[in-house]
Amino acid sequence: MEQLLNSSEQFFQVEKPIIEFRGVSKTYPSGTHALEDVNIKINNGEFVFVVGSSGAGKSTFMKLIMREEKANTGKIIVNGFELTSMKRRDVPMLRRTMGIVFQDFRLIPTMNVFDNVAFAMHVVGASGRNVRREVSRALSKVGLGNKARSMPAQLSGGEQQRVGLARALVNSPDLIIADEPTGNVDPNMSYEIVSMLTEINKLGTTVLMVTHDHNLVRDFQHRVIMLDGGKIVADNAGGDIG
Amino acid sequence: MKLGSVKYLVGEGVKNTWVNRLMSLASVGVLVACMVVIGLALLISENVAKAIGALEQQNVVMVYMEDYNWALYSDKTDTSSDAAVSENGEEADANGIKSSDYTIHNDEEAKALCDKIAKLDNVASVTYVSSDEGLASVKESMLEGQEEYFDFLDEEYGNPMSCAAKVTMKDMSLFSETIDKIEQMEGVDVIQSQDDLAEKITAVKNGIYVAGIWIIAILMIIALVIVSNTIRVTMYNRKLEISIMKAVGATDSFIRIPFIVEGMLIGVISALIAEGLLYFCYRVATETIISTLGTTDIVKYGDMAWILLLVFLAIGIFAGIIGSVIIISKYLRKEGSEFAAI
Ligand SMILES: Nc1ncnc2c1ncn2[C@@H]1O[C@H](COP(=O)(O)OP(=O)(O)O)[C@@H](O)[C@H]1O
Ligand SMILES: [Mg+2]
Repeated sequence: MEQLLNSSEQFFQVEKPIIEFRGVSKTYPSGTHALEDVNIKINNGEFVFVVGSSGAGKSTFMKLIMREEKANTGKIIVNGFELTSMKRRDVPMLRRTMGIVFQDFRLIPTMNVFDNVAFAMHVVGASGRNVRREVSRALSKVGLGNKARSMPAQLSGGEQQRVGLARALVNSPDLIIADEPTGNVDPNMSYEIVSMLTEINKLGTTVLMVTHDHNLVRDFQHRVIMLDGGKIVADNAGGDIG
Repeated sequence: MKLGSVKYLVGEGVKNTWVNRLMSLASVGVLVACMVVIGLALLISENVAKAIGALEQQNVVMVYMEDYNWALYSDKTDTSSDAAVSENGEEADANGIKSSDYTIHNDEEAKALCDKIAKLDNVASVTYVSSDEGLASVKESMLEGQEEYFDFLDEEYGNPMSCAAKVTMKDMSLFSETIDKIEQMEGVDVIQSQDDLAEKITAVKNGIYVAGIWIIAILMIIALVIVSNTIRVTMYNRKLEISIMKAVGATDSFIRIPFIVEGMLIGVISALIAEGLLYFCYRVATETIISTLGTTDIVKYGDMAWILLLVFLAIGIFAGIIGSVIIISKYLRKEGSEFAAI
């Protein structure tokens, strides 16, 4: 019932996809065909799990979206940017529309929690007063308002990833990209992190998350894209996975 | 770029210098060592130049003129001839010398020639030496007893010294050219000089110049290589920072600023330390030299302090900026590895 509501909501609200792949192939210089003829549309406001066995091409799929890798053929459109013809110097503008969460957290060990999150704002030119307000807001969203002065090493893995999540959120992105964000986090914390991502998604942010954890996929009812051998083998957009 | 952002990025650069203080210290050490050696090379060459300058001042050239006394002693003048009257009816004096036999007839003409010499580009100074003064100074330099010979000549035939111009030059490498020009002037008899000294001075100066350039070039390269290596060592933290900055959409110039600030700061700190260290070393060295050799003719540090500081700042800032730019460019250009392995 809830799902029906969800899909009808999408049907009426969103015509324009935030991510679109048209006939995309990616072959690494080593000769590995990581992705072959991928066609997909992800609409604004969706929450998508990307699943598949190791080496299926999940990370490559994510890297193409953030324009860390370039496709060999096909067309990729993200947030209105045409990535295949995009110039290197325009990449920062694309990145500012997305928040990236890393599997290994990537917190700067010499900075406290607050400064780690503030760093993401400062380096894109945000002003001091905005930074203080937005960082506080992001930290309370992930439930770490009271840990602002802690150093990363003093936090658990789950807490560190929540700092990483706060940093991804702080510039108010349209899209969150997370490649196995729960890979280094214990199961309880994984649930908490995906719950937070779900909350963020409910406020309108599109979330794209790679995971190996079948329990998460089963318990959080979201769209699931399954990759195998560089191809999309299943996609439950608007329905159930086969 | 907003002022607030610039402030933040500069602040980050300063903070990073402190956070990575062990590596900063290593870079500073290398830079200071290079700067001190470069500074020493400059101070030594300046002292040598000063000593050479003193030598050059002593390298005077005497330009003797074709005056009456010259005519008196010259072989070219036929004093034995009995012809008292020349073809144009000119009368010879008691010594049988006609006014057409010589060029410089009086002090005015001699001084005019001096002025003409003084107008040459490479001539530093010209002093007129009258024949009487010339004779006095020649007699003064003679050994005991020999001066009597000049007295004898003077009394018997007249002053044997022609009037002369005492000439010093600015650039010893143009020595022979300048001599040639003076020789071609009307009224110049002979030029007495030590042209081998001029050649030696020029050779020594060129040698010092070439050696100095090589020393500085080699040390600059060493400084650059070591500074970039030092920065490379800290690159683990740096790669992490750069990967995050790129992920959140920082532009290349934003990413570079903290690193460049860090490089510059290391350069400036090194320059200040090198200046102080060199001042101390130079004072100790010169005090020893003065007390053992007794010379006081040594370049003062104070005269060179500003130049040295500027040179050190230039080297430090250059090495710091280039060192960090080389390193970050490597990571900025790398596509496809920014989020994967750090
Ligand atoms: N940078 C790379 N260079 C060469 N081959 C790569 C590179 N990254 C991934 N691959 C290869 O591409 C295929 C897909 O990799 P990846 O997208 O990382 O899969 P997944 O994330 O699903 O495990 C694999 O065979 C992998 O070895
Ligand atoms: Mg992967």
